Amino acid sequence: MGEALSITDLGFRYAAAGPWVVDIDALSLEAGEQLLLTGRSGRGKSTLLYLIAGLMEPGRGRVLVHGQDMHALRGHHRDEFRGRAVGMIFQTFNLLHGFSAAENVMLAMMFSDIPRAEHAKRAHDLLAHLGVDRPDAPPEQLSIGQQQRVAVARAVACRPALVLADEPTASLDPENAGGAMDLIQGACRDTGAALLCVSHDPTMAERFRRRASLDALGAETQR
Amino acid sequence: MAISDFTIIRRSLTSRLFSTVMTALTVAVAVAMLLVLLSMKDAGEQAFSRGSGDMHLLVSKDSSPLVSVLNGIFYANAPAAPILRPEFDRVASDPRVAIAIPTQQGDSFAGLPVMATSAEFFTKFQPSQGRPWEFASGRAFEKPFEVVLGARAARETGLKIGDGIYLSHGRSNAAVRVTADDHADNHEEHAHEDHEEGAAEPAGHVHREFPYTIVGILKPSGSAHDTALFTDLTSAWTIHAHDRREREDPTAKTTPADITDEDRKITGIYVRAASRPGADASGAVGQLAYQLRQEGFTVAEPSKEIPKLFKIVGGINAILVAMAGVVLVSGSISIMIALYNSMEQRRRQIAVLRVLGASRGRIFGLVLTESALLGLLGALGGVVLGMLAGGLTAGALRGRLGIVVTPVYPPEWVLIVIVAAVLLASVAGLIPAVAAYRTSVARNLRPAA
Repeated sequence: MGEALSITDLGFRYAAAGPWVVDIDALSLEAGEQLLLTGRSGRGKSTLLYLIAGLMEPGRGRVLVHGQDMHALRGHHRDEFRGRAVGMIFQTFNLLHGFSAAENVMLAMMFSDIPRAEHAKRAHDLLAHLGVDRPDAPPEQLSIGQQQRVAVARAVACRPALVLADEPTASLDPENAGGAMDLIQGACRDTGAALLCVSHDPTMAERFRRRASLDALGAETQR
Repeated sequence: MAISDFTIIRRSLTSRLFSTVMTALTVAVAVAMLLVLLSMKDAGEQAFSRGSGDMHLLVSKDSSPLVSVLNGIFYANAPAAPILRPEFDRVASDPRVAIAIPTQQGDSFAGLPVMATSAEFFTKFQPSQGRPWEFASGRAFEKPFEVVLGARAARETGLKIGDGIYLSHGRSNAAVRVTADDHADNHEEHAHEDHEEGAAEPAGHVHREFPYTIVGILKPSGSAHDTALFTDLTSAWTIHAHDRREREDPTAKTTPADITDEDRKITGIYVRAASRPGADASGAVGQLAYQLRQEGFTVAEPSKEIPKLFKIVGGINAILVAMAGVVLVSGSISIMIALYNSMEQRRRQIAVLRVLGASRGRIFGLVLTESALLGLLGALGGVVLGMLAGGLTAGALRGRLGIVVTPVYPPEWVLIVIVAAVLLASVAGLIPAVAAYRTSVARNLRPAA
């Protein structure tokens, strides 16, 4: 199994002479591996995810996703690669209104190599597998738990190498949070995707065999 | 069904339906205005050209050729200066003249003009080139005091074949019909009566001494002639002879036998110059016109005067087209504002699409296509609206002015207007598209505070 993620000397700061908001010597994630990254609010956890996804430019360093240097790719090549190789899950789900649950999942496939004729079936199958019983309903008519499932389905729809989860349980009560994490971790295991989950929730630690703290500069990882 | 770029655009437009409809409507109104003006401009020229038909020259004693055309073909006013019978005979006998049709105006019925003329008006003059007169019912007049109705005159007055009417001298709204009582009465007891009620200038009087009978109704010609009533010259001259004799003897009875040369006045001559068989333009027209002018006539060449008329109104047309253009530009600006305002609500959607793999260029294209589509929707709506408005305008022109205008929409114009609307809308979409292109993903995916 190859590496899903490899970070080397990654740094990001907003101003040229300002402090490094993200400062990581090295961090890697094997295919299918799951890592919890913790840290205080404002420590740059979300920024790190956007850097990995190629949505922000680092001040220094290198990010390899599935062996590909994300920031060496330019323009639409990087966007297309992100669409294929990276799935993202957000605290507020960020499902699009005006589209049904299944269409939200199909939106992810729209930018992939998956044949168009397979989009609808794949989306419905995936949603059924994750327990979404109303795939044609708009997200706003679904319960929070069902919305979470749609968001997870969208993230893994293109069978990415890496799933990035940004505080996925921050807006859920403890009972639902546990269920949501079961879902995310299970979906990643099913699709073989590596999972990098950032959270400041201390109760998440027991779910991950591998954890790291952004507060410890250099991202000393605990294996 | 899989999601496509078009699905995203369609959902974006339908998610703010009111704004979409109103914005498209703004463009539609502008496109409709532009189309109506363009279609009417051409159709108007055709309509005005129609009345002169196949005549080469209109000879009169009006103050100018343009006035002559307005009076003699479009019935704007009854020409005041008369042409005497010997003058007409001289024109008609010129070897370069193939057809000379005398016309005389001055009487009216229900505000509609009455043209006295010869029977040749129906047989030798074509109101539209290549389209001779056709009768919807009845026939041409064959003897004095018979009337043929233009198509619109028949519709407006409701007169039918066999009905009897009295004409008014001058332009008057009086519409006096012959009743059963009139037939029983002695006509002499109905000396002509002044009729001021509802009269157009000059106030006319009704000639109750001379009942006319409707004998024919013409099919529409698409010209101002459709508004007129036609009778023969002997009738008109008899009335004028009666007016003359009545001044001397109020009890005088008048018949065609009482007409003198002094009464035999006409107000215009439709002239068609002699030409080789099958040829229309005659080389003799210029020479003939020159000579007739030398003889003191006002000679109008309708084919030259009508473009002059349009030159006068052409400036107004240009202003109207410019106004429609401004409305189209303002419609495009409203597209820009609508899309730009929607950007605030759509930044999160754009950010999510970027995360899912959409490139900046694709996002730019989505917004630009949405803008162009709004322009296209507006333009297509405008074409439909324009055709409806064109029909209504043509109806109003026909109903109020008697000008038969058939709006024409040449496909190339329609296409140009649609393309122009789409291009303008696309240009208007540039600013929102750039705003979408520059949308920060990280900033717009953060949970709201």
